[in-house]
Amino acid sequence: MIFVIAEHNNGRPKPITNELLVAAQRVSREFGQPVTAIVLGENTAAVADDLKSRKIDRVIRIDDPNLAQYSPDTYVTALNGLLADEKPFLVIAGHTTQGYDFAPRLAVKLRRPLIAGMVDFEKHGDRLILTRQIFNAKMNMKTAVRGEAPYLATASPGAFPGDEVEGGGNAEVVSYAAQLEGPSTRKVVDRAEAQKGQADLSSAPIIISGGRGLKQKENFQVIFDLAQSIGGSVGASRPVVDAEWLPREYQIGSSGQTVSPRLYIAVGISGAIQHLVGMQTSRCIVAINKDAEAPIFKVAHYGIVDDLFKVLPALTKIFNDLKAGS
Amino acid sequence: MKIISCIKPVPDPASRLVINETKTWIKDQDLTFVASEADNYALEEALRLKEKHGGEVVVISMGGEEAARVLRSGLAMGADRAIHLFDEKFKGADEFAAAEALAEAIRKDGGADLILTGVQSDDLGTGMTGVMLAEFLGIGHATVVVGVEANPDAKTLRAKRELEGGMNETVELPVPALLTIQFGINQPRYASLKGIMAAKKKEMKVLAAADLGLADHQVGRAGAMYEVKEVLIPERKSRVEILTGTPEEAAAKLVEKLRKEAKVL
Repeated sequence: MIFVIAEHNNGRPKPITNELLVAAQRVSREFGQPVTAIVLGENTAAVADDLKSRKIDRVIRIDDPNLAQYSPDTYVTALNGLLADEKPFLVIAGHTTQGYDFAPRLAVKLRRPLIAGMVDFEKHGDRLILTRQIFNAKMNMKTAVRGEAPYLATASPGAFPGDEVEGGGNAEVVSYAAQLEGPSTRKVVDRAEAQKGQADLSSAPIIISGGRGLKQKENFQVIFDLAQSIGGSVGASRPVVDAEWLPREYQIGSSGQTVSPRLYIAVGISGAIQHLVGMQTSRCIVAINKDAEAPIFKVAHYGIVDDLFKVLPALTKIFNDLKAGS
Repeated sequence: MKIISCIKPVPDPASRLVINETKTWIKDQDLTFVASEADNYALEEALRLKEKHGGEVVVISMGGEEAARVLRSGLAMGADRAIHLFDEKFKGADEFAAAEALAEAIRKDGGADLILTGVQSDDLGTGMTGVMLAEFLGIGHATVVVGVEANPDAKTLRAKRELEGGMNETVELPVPALLTIQFGINQPRYASLKGIMAAKKKEMKVLAAADLGLADHQVGRAGAMYEVKEVLIPERKSRVEILTGTPEEAAAKLVEKLRKEAKVL
């Protein structure tokens, strides 16, 4: 059995759940193991009903008032019991603020392997080989899990295409009673939207985005200059915002804004997966980076491998000349 | 409050990384090692909490000379003392084996009120070790923390977690607790000359596997839950068209492509 820990809100599966199901369905084909979706929460009937139409074997609901809000200790207790009873081959959660918050605790409790941030898998004989990215996606590492099942994995968001999930199923929905000791000792006291500023990039048609390659705050002027000449908005990758070169509201990526402009120009951005998930659906992507190995080139349509401090002024000049001429 | 701040040594981000002969890791002999970036944010947060609430900050790291180096930097930034897990047997540890060794060392040091780690390391980058450490110690935790408010009298703390989609969640949990600190929570200080001089007089305790009461099969490569089969540069299934020439020529080609081919301008 392959277990997928479904993430959901407002009675519906989150998009990551389909990605996890795609990963599970693919592993299922190679290893001949049926897929089961696990739904933890309170009043999860609607989520289970939604999930049962995927091509999977079973949906297990763990419905409990103490699971109404996600918390690592209650999730670990509930899943620990279920795994002991069901003995699955593989358990897949999202490499998300939920998945990587509880999966490592579960792995320690079970003393079983956890491969975090899985992006691919292979079958070598009977062995499961999981691939993940290391050194900020510059390299991949293939790992073989050791010992007996269950094996645990968290799948990187964006690594498996959620829209390829196989449907047409009518899975059996069953309930499992978790033996919880009570409510979580970690209580959610507040949930709020992080401060949003002026820079709403969600509807911007053209975005020029700068990264660590700009080297220092003052150098960001070349990004603003190009944005002005082309009539675009400015965005940034996480390191730029962390270094306080620009306010948080400019950040594009998994913990910032998700954008899909007509044209996205990534300047001095290496392309960590956290950034890519926030911009990879842009219609046309241009990467300007002096490192030809940078992962950003994998998603770009056009690339220039050169010093951004030479390329950007040249581009700005062309656009300014075009404007002056028209 | 006694705060323990975990630091992982990683290759200097400016290094050129080359895969080793057995294709199981990088060639790390001639590299310069520094503290993993997120761990600097964690240490800075530890120092600020100590400045506010009193107590001590202990830095802990595992590895060879490179670990001693990042610990000395931590002491120079203002930590009070250091614990160095130093043993050939620790080599090849995965997140699980590292977390178990750290847990034993922290237990041996009498535990802590608060343990901080970076949200993820610059090398493996999985964000697992801190959470595993919390489970080994049987204490609560919160990940991706962008704000900490400690209430030592009530023995609780509040941590603001950064979630997906621009949401934040504030959780309250009892201490002792472990927090994995997100990039950008603060601006880490630089070590002053005075701090560097003072660091030389501070305690650095060295612990080997035997000191932790861990058997050989529990530490390093033997204690790891997975085996590294291969490290490789991923094949780029790329659609990218690289535009060449001088910067001016490449820029001109790009504008032409964007206008005539992609038709986005």
